[in-house]
Amino acid sequence: MDILGTVIHALNLAAIYGLMAIGISILWSSIGMINMAHGATFAASGYAAWLAASAAKPAITAVLGKTLLAKFAMAGVTIGAGVFAGALFGAIIYLLAFLTIHDKPNFAVRSLIVTLAINLATVQLLLWYFGPRQRGLPKLFGFGKFEIFGAPVRYDQAGAILSTALVLALVLVWLKVSRKGLEIRAMMQNPEGAVLSGISVRWTALPVTMLTGALAGLAAILLSQTIFVSPTSGALPLIKGLIIALLGGLGSVPGAVVGAVIVGFLEAIVGAIPFLGQRYVLFASFIFIIAVLIVRPRGLGGLLDETRE
Amino acid sequence: MAEILYINGLTAGYGPLRVLHEVDFRVEEGERIGLVGLNGHGKTTLFRAVSHLTGWQSGSIKLNGEEIGGTRSTGPGRQTSAIVRKGMAMTPQGDAIFPGLTVRQHLDCGAYSRLAWRERHKRRDMVMDIFPPLRKLEDSIVGKLSGGERRMVSVGRALMVDASLYLIDEPSLGLAPKISTSVIDALFSLPKDGRGMVIAEQNVALLSGRVDRMVGMHAGRIRGDVGHVGLE
Repeated sequence: MDILGTVIHALNLAAIYGLMAIGISILWSSIGMINMAHGATFAASGYAAWLAASAAKPAITAVLGKTLLAKFAMAGVTIGAGVFAGALFGAIIYLLAFLTIHDKPNFAVRSLIVTLAINLATVQLLLWYFGPRQRGLPKLFGFGKFEIFGAPVRYDQAGAILSTALVLALVLVWLKVSRKGLEIRAMMQNPEGAVLSGISVRWTALPVTMLTGALAGLAAILLSQTIFVSPTSGALPLIKGLIIALLGGLGSVPGAVVGAVIVGFLEAIVGAIPFLGQRYVLFASFIFIIAVLIVRPRGLGGLLDETRE
Repeated sequence: MAEILYINGLTAGYGPLRVLHEVDFRVEEGERIGLVGLNGHGKTTLFRAVSHLTGWQSGSIKLNGEEIGGTRSTGPGRQTSAIVRKGMAMTPQGDAIFPGLTVRQHLDCGAYSRLAWRERHKRRDMVMDIFPPLRKLEDSIVGKLSGGERRMVSVGRALMVDASLYLIDEPSLGLAPKISTSVIDALFSLPKDGRGMVIAEQNVALLSGRVDRMVGMHAGRIRGDVGHVGLE
């Protein structure tokens, strides 16, 4: 078994799933919504990036030729379109699944159903408009590999791990230092206290849905470096994101990060064991989350926080 | 004198439960009112109705002459932040605290208006003058503080902006007598001009002789303005 290669693969998976899981986790704890449409955000952002990249490619090639600058321009267009589409889709989810029903009884269940409906409808719309054919996104980080301690690392793996770490660090810093971030954290910790502090849930929820949508969009771009964009490509990341968010103790951002690393390693190791292999990866994830829910339903939540109940 | 709060015919409850029955209540500028009554007789619900946190409610509530009441059957909390921004500061029973934030961030949360946010350093200083123990805890996580310190943070948050109506729910709940006295002392040290304050309390002795009026609540109805002597 190639240990270093497995570690790299695990971190790559952890990075992409972590982006999804943190979105799900933040959404749940701040506005009390399990966003089943997170997978649809993922798929829609992938298609938006593909459309933007295909539309911009002739223009960029005509102006810049085959220079390095052209590659940067393509990467910028692809990432920008994906992240923007993710944020836009987040705003749509806010309008349909939050604003209309957030103060009705049983919001958690209602929003689960509404977002599930949005998810199904979006997947069908993408299938109807684009067809089931898979699309490849331009390679942002180029082809090729380099070596760390003798282990080959593909550029897209390194790019995914590094850009996720960077983006997550930025998001966490923003949550820590900005005023909006303070409001969001207040809402995550005590919604009633937040409204009594003059923080409007309706106006704070919009940046939260847009931010988590943008994270899903980024995850879509990064995962599409390895696999293809297709209408149903959001389903697996959504499931993995939910598993990790549950494992991390819904609502805990550090918990989601640790959970992502654990699930990433679990998948990479199961995939690398010869008699199990890739086909048992999903099976292992589900067995694992069932075991977690039986043994410790709160997941890692509470282990990483320093506060008392 | 101007009326800060004017409640007329307020009925409110949660689901099938009717807690308040046609309550009439008013607070004038500069007044400090003690709202007394046993557990479960509607003191907290009266506060929650003013801030639209009940399950449903009907009746007129005027804050500084502006109608903020009305009939509502869903949406608890939907209008709360807007009402808070109109000048109501409420400290709920058992503290509204954000366990993962530091004392400083916590107080900043209370400075929601643009003016208060700009002046937040000055205002934090003011709160710390009122509650000196908080000064050395500025960077500690609120979730790690003791009950008394949490109550100070919770009340201090409500003091970060210049509200006109202060609703303080059971400031002595769960605190040692000495600490609850100091919290009450701090509340009474606030200037009176342009503000009204209602303190809901079961421990009548804490308020006795210090408030302008005592109002009793029984079974969801106001039982007249009672002198402290009668209650002691």
